[in-house]
Amino acid sequence: METPEPVPDMNRRSFLRTSAVLTTGLAALAASLKPLMEMTDFPTAERFMQKYYKEMSKTDMEKVLKRIADDVEQQYGLRPEVRDYKPLNGVEYVYCLNLTRCIGCRKCVHACVAENNQSRSPEIQYIRVLKLPHGSLDIEKADHNYAPESVPEKGFFYMPVQCQQCKNPPCVKVCPVHATWQETDGITVIDYDWCIGCRYCEAACPYWARRFNFTKPSIPKERINPNMSYLGNRPRRQGVMEKCHFCIQRTRQGKYPACLEVCPTGARKFGNILDPSSEVSHILRTKRVFIQLKEEMGTNPRFFYYFDV
Amino acid sequence: MTSSSKKDLTLAALAAVFLILAAVFLTDALGRPKLPAPLPLVDTNFLSTATVRRSYADLVKAKDDLSDFDCYTCHEKGKAPPLRYDSRQNLIVAKEHADVVMGHGSHGRNNNCFNCHNETNLELLQSRDGRQLRFSDSPQLCGSCHGPTYRDWETGVHGRTGGYWNRTGEPTDRKACVNCHDPHSPHFPGRHPAPGPHGLHETADAPSTQPETHR
Ligand code: HEC
Ligand code: HEC
Ligand code: HEC
Ligand code: HEC
Repeated sequence: METPEPVPDMNRRSFLRTSAVLTTGLAALAASLKPLMEMTDFPTAERFMQKYYKEMSKTDMEKVLKRIADDVEQQYGLRPEVRDYKPLNGVEYVYCLNLTRCIGCRKCVHACVAENNQSRSPEIQYIRVLKLPHGSLDIEKADHNYAPESVPEKGFFYMPVQCQQCKNPPCVKVCPVHATWQETDGITVIDYDWCIGCRYCEAACPYWARRFNFTKPSIPKERINPNMSYLGNRPRRQGVMEKCHFCIQRTRQGKYPACLEVCPTGARKFGNILDPSSEVSHILRTKRVFIQLKEEMGTNPRFFYYFDV
Repeated sequence: MTSSSKKDLTLAALAAVFLILAAVFLTDALGRPKLPAPLPLVDTNFLSTATVRRSYADLVKAKDDLSDFDCYTCHEKGKAPPLRYDSRQNLIVAKEHADVVMGHGSHGRNNNCFNCHNETNLELLQSRDGRQLRFSDSPQLCGSCHGPTYRDWETGVHGRTGGYWNRTGEPTDRKACVNCHDPHSPHFPGRHPAPGPHGLHETADAPSTQPETHR
């Protein structure tokens, strides 16, 4: 039989010394984590355990909507009405924008921000208005920082760009977790609770339509729109993508989107392409010159630009 | 030095380092990145869905001042006001009608008051095809000369229709021609644009100077 190994040279004093160092080390570690204690945006267990949108039952969804309303109330101090609007039957949305009418006033940009609870600081906007010289369509060279005393400026036209709601959306294809998909009414939506913030979709989108929340969004309480929807305008959190969703919370109730309602010139037209008497059906039937942005990419946008001739 | 006293020294040094680190973290001695001052909020006027003009019908609905439309507080019934022209055949508008600035079409091609107003009853409009219309029916007047635009307007293609795209909800709200066009000078007026986008790293105290591309 072998003799047992000698006990390591561990007496009472050295044990105390080592633990003193360990304790100070742990204290330093704890202190270095202090900023985490100030974090308010921890995922709750409920959000963490939430199911995938398409797998949620009605009761699952009710619970989730209540959880979202609670979160919003806690953060912004007002009780929102959060709902989950489903696509309407026999409806496919199309947007038409008359470039002869648009004067580049940017009212649509800000009406969209207000309706859809986008962060004000830093700023997130779904619509970019491009200024282009007459006769050009090179949107890579467009200016969107124009700030003259008055618009329109002679010799230019204006082209607002937002999510084009493609029939063949490259953003959906690259999402590794299926957090973004196309619904039956043609709207490509994002489940903000499923998004992991990898930004692949942003890179895939040829229209620069997707926006990322680099920091925690901030919206003053008095500017919150309390009529919210799950796939639409409920407040987002840091680290997720967002984009235009044709104002789901309005359009799926039969209303026009906010950007259209605020347009002073009537350049914006929206409706159901499956209804032959809708404005958009009339336009696609009777107007002659259409532009689908970057149509050579095969994205097949549901967003049509046209000139009145 | 014995191995145990060497160990003691290292442990003491480590403890000291940890203590200093803990102190640094707790007191934020290195400073935290300052939260940027928030960007200014957009003027709520830019969010208004009101049209650029208010029509006669709007004024009636809002029970607002209609004195401009009370033609017979100043005019005499049954007597058409005379039209006066300057030496270059331009219509001279009475100073009482300072808000009527004529400029309908290039070269004032449609400046004659009685192309639109009824001569014998000033409180009515007179269309090209002989209909007498109330002020609230002015789109039909415009339509009598602008047929194609009027037909586009009827289907919602020209102008703006608010409310419900599916027409099942509340009544849709089709804006009248005069909500956007001053009937006397119908060219759509220019306006001050709402502020453009701020850069991602731009703050109220440090506006970006470089124009960005795209985003
Ligand atoms: C505040 C008083 C006032 C009111 C209200 C008023 N007018 Fe006049 N209007 C005048 C005067 C004064 C003249 C010049 C009179 C003249 O030369 O006989 C005039 C002239 C006109 C003329 C001739 C063109 C011109 O400018 O000289 C027309 C047409 C006319 N008015 C139409 C109308 C109509 C239509 C209304 C109602 C919608 C109306 N007016 C309301 C005071 C008024
Ligand atoms: C192209 C058609 C047209 C012509 C030409 C025209 N008017 Fe009018 N006018 C209208 C219409 C339509 C309204 C009602 C507008 C509304 O609903 O706001 C109106 C309103 C008015 C009013 C009442 C509101 C106001 O702005 O004061 C007066 C006064 C008036 N017109 C005077 C004149 C005079 C004077 C002339 C000629 C110098 C003239 N109009 C030429 C179509 C016309
Ligand atoms: C009597 C016929 C007549 C009536 C009624 C009439 N217009 Fe006109 N309108 C014209 C003519 C003529 C022109 C000039 C076309 C041109 O210059 O090519 C014109 C031009 C215009 C323009 C283009 C102006 C520009 O400078 O770009 C607008 C907008 C317009 N009308 C709106 C209206 C509205 C709104 C009404 C109803 C309040 C109306 N018109 C009623 C005859 C009419
Ligand atoms: C929502 C606002 C709006 C309404 C409502 C509206 N228009 Fe216009 N209209 C415009 C704008 C913007 C333009 C382009 C700028 C311009 O030429 O003045 C325009 C242009 C026109 C033109 C010039 C030709 C063209 O197509 O460019 C005519 C004519 C015209 N409108 C007539 C009408 C008539 C008639 C009605 C009512 C039946 C009407 N508009 C209703 C905003 C409106």
